Amino acid sequence: MTGLDRASGVADVVPVPVPPAPGPSLSSADDARAARAARARSVAGTVALYVVSLAAAFAISALLVALTHGSPAKVFPAMYRGSLRSFGSLGYTLDNTGPLMIVAVGAIVSTRAGLFNIGQEGQVAVGAMTGAFVALKVHPAGGPVLVLALLAAAAGGAIWAGIVALLRFWRGVEVVISSLLLVFVAEQVLFYALSRTFLLKEHGAGGATLTESDQLSSKVQLPRFGTYPHFNFGSGLLIAVVLAALVGLVMTRTTLGFRVRMLGHNPVAAKHVGINAARLGTVALLVSGACAGLAGGVLLTGQAYRITPTISNNVGWNGLLVALVARNNAWVAIGVALGFGALQAGGGFLSTTGVPTDLVNVIEALVVLAAVFPPALQEVLRRRARRSQAVAGAAA
Amino acid sequence: MTDGRVGEPPGSPTPSLEARSLTKRFGPVVACDCVDLTVRRGEIHGILGQNGAGKTTLMNMFLGLVRPDNGEIAVNGRPVVIDDPFKAASFGLAMVHQHFSLIGPLRVWENMALGEKGRIDEGSTVRRVRELAERYGLDVDAHARVDDLSTGQRQRAEIVKCLLRDPDVFILDEPTSVLTAAESVELFRVLRQVVQEEQRAVVLISHKLDEVLHATDRVTIMRSGRVVVERPTPGATAAELAREMIGRDVSLRGDLSAAVGHLEAPVEGAAPAPAGVPPVAKGRPVVLAVHGARAVGPDGRALLDGLTLELHEGEILGLAGVEGNGQKALGDLLASVLDLREGTVEVAGRRVTPGKAGAMAAAGVGMIPEDRHVCGTVLDMSVADNLVMGDLGAVSNRGVLRRRKVLAAAHRLIEEFEISVGSVDAPLRSLSGGNQQRVVLARELARSPRVLVASQPTRGLDVGAIEYMTARLRRAAAAGTAVLLISSELEEILELADRVAVIHRGRIVGEMARCEVDIDRLGLMMGGQAA
Repeated sequence: MTGLDRASGVADVVPVPVPPAPGPSLSSADDARAARAARARSVAGTVALYVVSLAAAFAISALLVALTHGSPAKVFPAMYRGSLRSFGSLGYTLDNTGPLMIVAVGAIVSTRAGLFNIGQEGQVAVGAMTGAFVALKVHPAGGPVLVLALLAAAAGGAIWAGIVALLRFWRGVEVVISSLLLVFVAEQVLFYALSRTFLLKEHGAGGATLTESDQLSSKVQLPRFGTYPHFNFGSGLLIAVVLAALVGLVMTRTTLGFRVRMLGHNPVAAKHVGINAARLGTVALLVSGACAGLAGGVLLTGQAYRITPTISNNVGWNGLLVALVARNNAWVAIGVALGFGALQAGGGFLSTTGVPTDLVNVIEALVVLAAVFPPALQEVLRRRARRSQAVAGAAA
Repeated sequence: MTDGRVGEPPGSPTPSLEARSLTKRFGPVVACDCVDLTVRRGEIHGILGQNGAGKTTLMNMFLGLVRPDNGEIAVNGRPVVIDDPFKAASFGLAMVHQHFSLIGPLRVWENMALGEKGRIDEGSTVRRVRELAERYGLDVDAHARVDDLSTGQRQRAEIVKCLLRDPDVFILDEPTSVLTAAESVELFRVLRQVVQEEQRAVVLISHKLDEVLHATDRVTIMRSGRVVVERPTPGATAAELAREMIGRDVSLRGDLSAAVGHLEAPVEGAAPAPAGVPPVAKGRPVVLAVHGARAVGPDGRALLDGLTLELHEGEILGLAGVEGNGQKALGDLLASVLDLREGTVEVAGRRVTPGKAGAMAAAGVGMIPEDRHVCGTVLDMSVADNLVMGDLGAVSNRGVLRRRKVLAAAHRLIEEFEISVGSVDAPLRSLSGGNQQRVVLARELARSPRVLVASQPTRGLDVGAIEYMTARLRRAAAAGTAVLLISSELEEILELADRVAVIHRGRIVGEMARCEVDIDRLGLMMGGQAA
C-alpha cells in the first residue's frame, strides 16, 4: 500500500451527513459563491508565491553580480532589453519559445498518461539529426522537402521514445531511467553522424572541417514573418501554438484524452474499463517523442540551419520544466514557454554585455528555479494537507 | 517491563489513561463533544460506537495526531500535552492501526527497527521479535517481507511492533475487521494475557457488539461525538449495548443485525430469509460460468486452484470463506485485472478472454470492487468523469466528448442513486466514502449488467449506507441481474444470498441453498474440512 492509498482510504471517514444521505444537493448559490471565493484566495496566494520567489531569485542574482564586481543595476535592464524591449529582441524571444513549447506539449502528454518521459533532450537531438538527414540528402525541388524534413524529425524523436516504450512494456524497465539514459546515447549517435561525411559531416574543401553539417538550402528553412530589424519571428512558433491548442483540446475534450488521463491517474481502474495500458502508453510516449523530435526539426530549420553536436542546447530539459511549471496544462504551457523564451533571450543578450557566461547561466537557472518552486511547494503542501485531512477524517 | 507495574493490584486507583472533557471540532462537525474516558490498568476497555461516533478522533487525540480544542488528557493521573506520536509513545501509549503502519518492501525485523535510535542491530532485533512472539504465542517470521504477509500475519507483526515499545496502554482500532474468526480469538487471547499478567491497559475500539461483549471488562459507548454511557461489560446484553449505540431500539434480526456485526442471530440459524427475496433461481439460465480457473500470483502461489462456479439469472450467490482464500483473485478475474493459467469464463454463454482490458465489463459484468480506490474509481478525476467512465461511447460523438451528455448522464445517476455531491466537477476525492461507493454502484448498474460482482460492498460503510447498498443489491437481483456477493461478513451473506458457496484455497468446496444453511457445516467448510 502506498501513501496515496492510505491517504485516500481515509476519505471514507470524512464527516458525513447523518445517514441516510440526503438527496441530491447540487451546488446552491451559496456554495458556488464560497467556492469562487476560495478559488480567488488560492489564485491570489499562488501569485504572491510567484512574486516572492522571483524576487528572491533576482535578489540573489544581484548579489552574485555585485560579488563578481559587476553592476547589478545593469543586469536586469539588459535582460529586459534582450528579450522584450525592441521588436528585434521580442522576435528573438518568440524564436526561443517555439521549440520549448513543442517539447513541453509532448511532455504533458506522456506525464498525463503516468509515464514520466524525461529524455526529451536526446529526442530533440535525434529529431534534429533525422530531419537534417532528410533535408540534406533528399533533393526534390519545391516545398515538400521542408515538410518531409519536419516529419522525419518527428519520426526520429518518436523512434527514440519508442525504444523507451518497448523497454517499458516488453521488459518492465522504468521510463524515467531508460529515457534519461538514452539522452547520452543520442548525444553519442549525433556526434558519430557529424564526424562521418557519408552521414552528416560537412563536406569541406580542405581537411579542416568542423563536426557540423553543411548548411541547409533555403528551401528547407522555415519561413519567417517580418524582417530584421522590424518585428520578425519564425513560423516554428505557429507550429508550437497549433500543437499546444491541439493537445489542449484532445486532452480535455476527447475520449482519447480522457483515457490518457485515466491511465495516468489509476491504471488498474483504466484496465477494468478496457484501456490497454501498453497500447495507450506507447501512443503517449510516441507522441511525446515525436513532439521533442519536431522541436529538434524546428531548431534546425528555423534557427540553426545546420546541425551541430549542441543543437538541442538544453531545449529538452527546459521544455520539461515548462511542462512542470504549467502543471501539465497545454494551454498554460503556451504562456510559460513565452516566459522561458524571454529568459533565454535576455540571458543571451546579457552575456554580450560583459557578464561572464557562467554567471548568466546561474542567473537563468535561479529564475527557472524560482518559477518551478511555487508549484513544487504547493504540491508538497497539498500532499501534507491530504495526509492531515486523512488523520482528521479517520477521526470522525 | 517497568517496575511500577509489578505488584500493583488490578484496577488500581490511578487510571492509566484519562480523557477529561475532550472536545474536537472539524469545521462545523463536532467529532468529540466533552468526552470523558477512564481506562485502568488490568482492564480491556471497549469503546463502542458506529462509524462517525468519534471513536477514532478520540484515539487520534491520545496519539497526538489531532490536537483537542478543549479538555485535557491525563496519563497516570498527571495532565499531559500530547502534540505528536513520539510524545504519545513516551507516555506509554501505543496504537495498533486499522490501516497498518508497516512498510511493505521491508522485512519484519527492519520494520521493528524503524524509529529506534542508534545503530541498527539485526541480530538483537530478530532475537527480541522472537522472544515476544514466543511469549505471546504470536506466529511472526522476523525475516519475512511485509508485502508477502497475509493481513492476519501483518496484524501480528504490528502487535509485536507495539509490544517491542513496551507500552502501558495498548490501543486497537477495529482490529478484527481484517481478521478471520480464528485470528480474532487468538488476538483476544493475547490481549487478555497483556492485561492480566502484565497489568497493562487495552483500549479496544469496535463497532461489533459480540466482540465488545466477549472481550472487554468495561465499555464506553459513544454516539455522535458524545459518551452515552460507561458501564462494566459483564451483565450487559447485546440488545442493551445496541440500543445505546444506535440510540433507538433495534431488532437484532434482519438488516441491522448485520450492520452492527452482531453474530447471534445467524449462528442460531434463526434468521429467516427476508421477504421479497426471490427463491433460488433454479432452472433460470446460467449467466456467469467460471470453469476450472487456475491463476498464480507473482510469488508463485496459487491464487485460484481449479475454481468452478455458476451463477443464475436473478439470484444472489454469496461467496463465503475466510479472507485470503482467493476471493480477491476471483474479483480481479471478473474485473479483467487478472489473467488465468487455465480455465474459462463465460458470460451469458459467451467465452470472455480473462485479463484482457475491459473484456469482462464489455461482456456485461458490473463490478463493485473490494477496494474502490484501486480499481473502482479515479479519485483525482471529477464525479461526473467517474460516473461516465464505464461507457464513454454513450457520452461522445466520434471520439469527441459531449459535455452536455456527460452532465446529463451524471445528473441522472446522481439523482437516481441519491449521491450527495457539491458539484459534479468536484474531484471524487472530496466525497465521503459512502458516496464514493454510490458512484461506483451507479456507474456499474447504469449499464444494466448481466452479472454484478459485489466484493465486500459494505465494508467501511455506516449503517445507513449499508442499508442502502443491501436494498440496491436486492433490487438488482429482482430485475434479473445475477449478483455474486463476495463477503467476509457471514451475516451479510446469510441475510442477502439465495445460495451460498464456500471458497477455500482458491476453489469452491461446497454450495448450499440459503434455506439449507447449517452454520456448523458452513464453518467446517470455511476451515477447509470436507463436510
